[in-house]
Amino acid sequence: MTDFTIVLRSLSLRRFSTTVTVTMVAVSVALLLVLLAMRDAGRAAFRRGTGNVHLLVSADSSPLVAVLNGMFYANAPSQPIDWAAYMKIREAFPWSWTIPTQLGDSFRGSPVMATSKEFFTNFEPVLGQPWMFVAGKAFEAPYEAVVGAEAARVHGLKVGSELVLAHGVGTASGEAAHEHDDHPVEVVGILAPTGSAHDRAIFTSLETGWCVHAEEARLKEAAAANPGEDDHGHLHVAAEDLRDSEKLITGILLRVPTRPGEQVSSALPVAFDLLRRQFPFTVAQPAQQVGRLFEIVSGVDTLFIAMAVAVMVAGALSVMLALYNSMDLRRRQVAILRVLGASQGRVFGLVLAESAIIGLLGSGLGVALAAVFGTVASAELQRRVGLVIDPTMDLRTIVLCAAAATFLACAAGIVPALRAYRTAVVQGLRPLG
Amino acid sequence: MHALSITGLELTRPGGFNLSVPTLTLAQGEQALLVAPSGGGKSTLLHLIAGLEDPDAGSITVAGTPMESLRGATRDAFRGASIGMVFQTFNLLHGFSASENLMVAMMFSSIPAATHDSRARALLAELGIELPDQAVETMSVGQQQRVAVARALACRPSLVLADEPTASLDPANAATAIGLLQRACRDHGAALLCTSHDPSLRAHFSRVIELGHAEAAR
Repeated sequence: MTDFTIVLRSLSLRRFSTTVTVTMVAVSVALLLVLLAMRDAGRAAFRRGTGNVHLLVSADSSPLVAVLNGMFYANAPSQPIDWAAYMKIREAFPWSWTIPTQLGDSFRGSPVMATSKEFFTNFEPVLGQPWMFVAGKAFEAPYEAVVGAEAARVHGLKVGSELVLAHGVGTASGEAAHEHDDHPVEVVGILAPTGSAHDRAIFTSLETGWCVHAEEARLKEAAAANPGEDDHGHLHVAAEDLRDSEKLITGILLRVPTRPGEQVSSALPVAFDLLRRQFPFTVAQPAQQVGRLFEIVSGVDTLFIAMAVAVMVAGALSVMLALYNSMDLRRRQVAILRVLGASQGRVFGLVLAESAIIGLLGSGLGVALAAVFGTVASAELQRRVGLVIDPTMDLRTIVLCAAAATFLACAAGIVPALRAYRTAVVQGLRPLG
Repeated sequence: MHALSITGLELTRPGGFNLSVPTLTLAQGEQALLVAPSGGGKSTLLHLIAGLEDPDAGSITVAGTPMESLRGATRDAFRGASIGMVFQTFNLLHGFSASENLMVAMMFSSIPAATHDSRARALLAELGIELPDQAVETMSVGQQQRVAVARALACRPSLVLADEPTASLDPANAATAIGLLQRACRDHGAALLCTSHDPSLRAHFSRVIELGHAEAAR
């Protein structure tokens, strides 16, 4: 028989109250952990997407919108940039590389980005981690596509699959998006997951997007010119036939030269300034805009964390209430222990140990719950919003939360323990009733 | 050395309660019945002897140690080791088996932990408890009484204080129970001070102390 046995026996005697209290602590720990993990994972997912891009040029109205649209596929950019402007920007500065992008098409709700081959060779979706192909290779010719890991998983695409692209973003079922049904695009490569928004996109060459749109435009022209004629369904536009006015893009990814192994460059402010002065477009530094986004949402997640902490305090209060209420029932037990020779300090310790055990059990269960919640929530987020979030909790956070919960439970146990300490032995021994 | 020696004990409580024991001694192994009208302070006197309350004046010496010289944890430990208590409602620890009740008592004593289990079982067997692992709250009143007596003797006390130990029993069982208590105390060399308002118990004791006339009794 040890003090520990007495504590465990006492907890199991009041099984219901113990279970409820442990659950309360567990839920609050789990809530706090999930919120923290989601916040960190959400931030990481945003940080990843901008990769090694220094500047983004877009015709969108604000830098933040430009980055959300151009790098995170929020919406199709509303205004185009013409090819001549792209060529001028290209010549305006000794860039390390420039990558034109064109957004606006989709495949069953997944965004389609038309871009140049340099997107796979020069652009790194995650800093220091170039693109990897799990199957196939980058596109070479028009009507070839490379598919992001998440898009491939969702639509079950493999190398050799054929896609019919739709104009407009539409929804997952394809409604409200006009399908370019004459020109299936063949999948030639599947990308490895990067944990960024790019995983849910499909990539084609710029020519693919341009030709598809040019054909449609010319078919409409032909139909308007000869309303009686019916047979203009097989008009093909080759890449070299494209008019300059049909070569439209929606964004340009830019990187200024840096010393080997460095990510920042003193040339960046110069280039930024130059673009702003000489061109009528929005110029954004993606990394900076992501930082701004966090500033905007930080108020909201501070609120969430505050709520989770409040839940944790409520959990601690319920521990206190449970122990405090049980003191009436336990006055006799405490009195008996005193008669048998237990000192006040020892009885105090026994009651405190009970709340510590509730705190420890609750924290342990809470961490397990958080792992389950996190997995479920990230799967849901991925399914509904396509946001790829990896809800891993770092050990430090887990240990800190568990320690905080146990500490709070112990603190809550002080009041009942003090009450046990002061319990008048004589009254506790009187016959009941 | 006396098992118990009281001199000049005074306790006054608000509401007119007044307890006065000029002198009272109990030799080693001696057994006495303490009688007083209801509310006459029998329980209070037992609590004072056990050091659970402090008197206004006077001295209580148990097995040669004055209670007033002990404070806090030292007094608790002394009580656990030298005084066994039996209550009307037994005050057993619910949720614990009979042997565990004895082992909890021994936990606070200097008896080596390795011997607790065997000692508990031996004592319970001696008092006729056949199922030492049964939870006490599922036992009959008579069995609980025996467990309570066994627990009072678990730490080899010099003095056993019994507060109305037979009040929950019918007369036939009361006689058996008091016989058992007396025999157990005698076997273990503990003095016994037993309170009761039941006059039929007088026959079992060679010495009866009337509270309020304690000085006259000796």
